[in-house]
Amino acid sequence: MTDPVGRAGASRPRGPGDPDLVDVRASQTDRAAFGTLYRRYLERVYGYAFYLLGDHHDAEDATERTFVAALAGIGAFRDEGASFRSWLFRIAHNQVANALRSRGRRSAASLEVVAEPMSGSADPAAAVTAADEARELRRALAMLSDDRRQVIVLRFVDGLSAREIGVVLGRSEGAVRVLQHRALRELAATLDHEGPRSAV
Amino acid sequence: MQTPGSVAERLDRAVDQLVAGARPGTAAAVAGLDGAGRLLVETADRFRLSFVPVPVAPRFEARLGARLSGVTPSRDAVGWALRHPGRLIVTGAVGSAVGVGVTAYAVWRSSRRASAHRLRHR
Repeated sequence: MTDPVGRAGASRPRGPGDPDLVDVRASQTDRAAFGTLYRRYLERVYGYAFYLLGDHHDAEDATERTFVAALAGIGAFRDEGASFRSWLFRIAHNQVANALRSRGRRSAASLEVVAEPMSGSADPAAAVTAADEARELRRALAMLSDDRRQVIVLRFVDGLSAREIGVVLGRSEGAVRVLQHRALRELAATLDHEGPRSAV
Repeated sequence: MQTPGSVAERLDRAVDQLVAGARPGTAAAVAGLDGAGRLLVETADRFRLSFVPVPVAPRFEARLGARLSGVTPSRDAVGWALRHPGRLIVTGAVGSAVGVGVTAYAVWRSSRRASAHRLRHR
């Protein structure tokens, strides 16, 4: 796969089939068809950027740059190794990395002070409990190294598989599994050290 | 690390189950994890549940959608300036400093030329 983010994916393992391929092919000949992919992935790319940058404006910037780069590069996308969504998140990953570099490594602090999105609970007490839990987890997440945090966010915010995360981060599938294992071990230790867990 | 059945691989299988909607106990059992492994699956489930979808501002969605469809030719410069006033100030300050420097150099050069010209014609 040739892409606008500077890496080739031809040697990557293939998935069982890319569900986006029909829309990708349509977008390569008709720019208007890209709207389908945009609507499908906007919230997920935005969520990925928000949970790593911790700021709505920065997340909007990174999301905008991601989709503009994806539209510019979609003509060169080839179904030769990685799925469209891992290709798209690879672009998003680079945009988030650029944003973090330009702000001078304040990601951890941002994650700790991030305003929690609404949980959607109708019960105010449950909403407060959920917000407290989310804050506690976010603090623990902020203590992880960048690559471990990326794995957790890509896995649970965006639902990417270990194989897809490997494409995004430029790692092997096995290396991603090890990162995930170490990240969860570290998170469990941090949460255990900080106090008793609330109900799961 | 890639050996089938390693803890990392079984944990990944359990996380696959979680993402597909299984409960932590079921996911851990299916993946053959117990004890410490099950605790990691429960930790994974707490994080999965804590990442609620982040709503995208409708105005942003509409603006980016319009830009991608070619309706709007370029980004909203005013909006960018309002969101990043610091960058705007720095850009203005650097521009002013360069302008002052170039002007000062031009004045200095012209005064040197004028004095050299006077000396030659004395």
